[in-house]
Amino acid sequence: MRDGINLAKRGIPAVALVTEAFWSQGDFVAQSLGMPDVPRIKLPHPVAGTGIARMRVVAEAIAPEVIRALEAKDG
Amino acid sequence: MAELLSAPDEAQAVEELHLRGCTDGLPVIVPTRPRVARMILASGMDADLVLGTMGPGHGIATIENVAVAAVMAGCLPDYMPVVVAAVRAIIDPTFDLTEMQATTHCTAPLMIVNGPARQSCGPIASGTGALGPGHRANASIGRALRLTMINIGKARPGVSDMALLGHPGKFTYCLAEDEENSPFPPLHVDLGFKAQDSVVTVVGAEAPHSVIYAGDADDSGSYKILLDLLAMALANAPSNNAILTGGFATVVLNPEHSDVLHRAGLSRQDIASELYERCFLEPETVRRLMSAFAGKNPKRQMAFRSPDQILILQAGGSGLYSMVMPSWCAGTHTNSAVSVKVEADMFCELPDLVS
Repeated sequence: MRDGINLAKRGIPAVALVTEAFWSQGDFVAQSLGMPDVPRIKLPHPVAGTGIARMRVVAEAIAPEVIRALEAKDG
Repeated sequence: MAELLSAPDEAQAVEELHLRGCTDGLPVIVPTRPRVARMILASGMDADLVLGTMGPGHGIATIENVAVAAVMAGCLPDYMPVVVAAVRAIIDPTFDLTEMQATTHCTAPLMIVNGPARQSCGPIASGTGALGPGHRANASIGRALRLTMINIGKARPGVSDMALLGHPGKFTYCLAEDEENSPFPPLHVDLGFKAQDSVVTVVGAEAPHSVIYAGDADDSGSYKILLDLLAMALANAPSNNAILTGGFATVVLNPEHSDVLHRAGLSRQDIASELYERCFLEPETVRRLMSAFAGKNPKRQMAFRSPDQILILQAGGSGLYSMVMPSWCAGTHTNSAVSVKVEADMFCELPDLVS
């Protein structure tokens, strides 16, 4: 989340990937760093350790969203 | 009746309690007569009901002086049945409380709560940060138990509580099992209680030690690494469990780690057996590291007498870390866990609880 905000602050298009379990923490960090609307995409939790096949499924599901977020002019 | 003190106001009453060594060093709620009376009333038991004697000072634990501790700790009256059960558990002779207070080891009673009292006497947290700050019931119930140990058991640092350094769990050390999200039966059910019972299990415990493990769903044998890591932390070579052996210890699995072991087809008993088999020191290690304890011809030293000495529960948030709490392993009963049913039927709901 913080990485996404730091990149966004430098004007580099960024989208943070945040798992469900850390979603409210993501909101908190975004608020506290003054970028409450910084783009972020929710992933299922957990991702780590769930196996390559599962990660592929997650990646395929979110890839269009990531691209959309990066292309958005106001995001 | 408990001794009555007087002070001109609340602030000075708190200072007087600090001066008399009646606190844990943090401010307390002044146990005024009406506040204690409400706490007693909530317990549904008589004030002078004797629960037993509490070492090392052998003070008599009554409902009244347990209620005093509960008020001081900041408990709501709803919590009283759990506090009373915890007191009954630590004064059970098999808990070796007197010896525990006399040891220089850091051990403290860890309270594990199971059953409906987790909600009715709480909520007692079992999820993210359950052993950390911010959960009123966990914080104040564990603190109430410690205040009974100070004011009924007369444990004072350096005089009658001889822990060389202690650990922060000596302020409060209370959590519930996350029964709803655990793939295993609740701990109290595996200990022989009914599911609808509420039970407090106390076990002497060091501070929690973190165990990091990231599963690998592509490797069906990777759960064995988790077992190896848990065992390494549970009976790490300098621990009393490895050196003195024969005491209980506690494993708090996070949801992911529970799931990894459950998917590998292991029950709680299987996990305990797997850990038991992994918790030992080889003779040469024993000879090299602990000749003072080992004698001339050391054998392979199993850390536990049986798998039953390893308490396993699920609590905490989702992620990489589980926790283990090694123990002291001494005293007549070598650090036994004690489970006591919470007598919630006696609980008397009070209107207008704020006083």
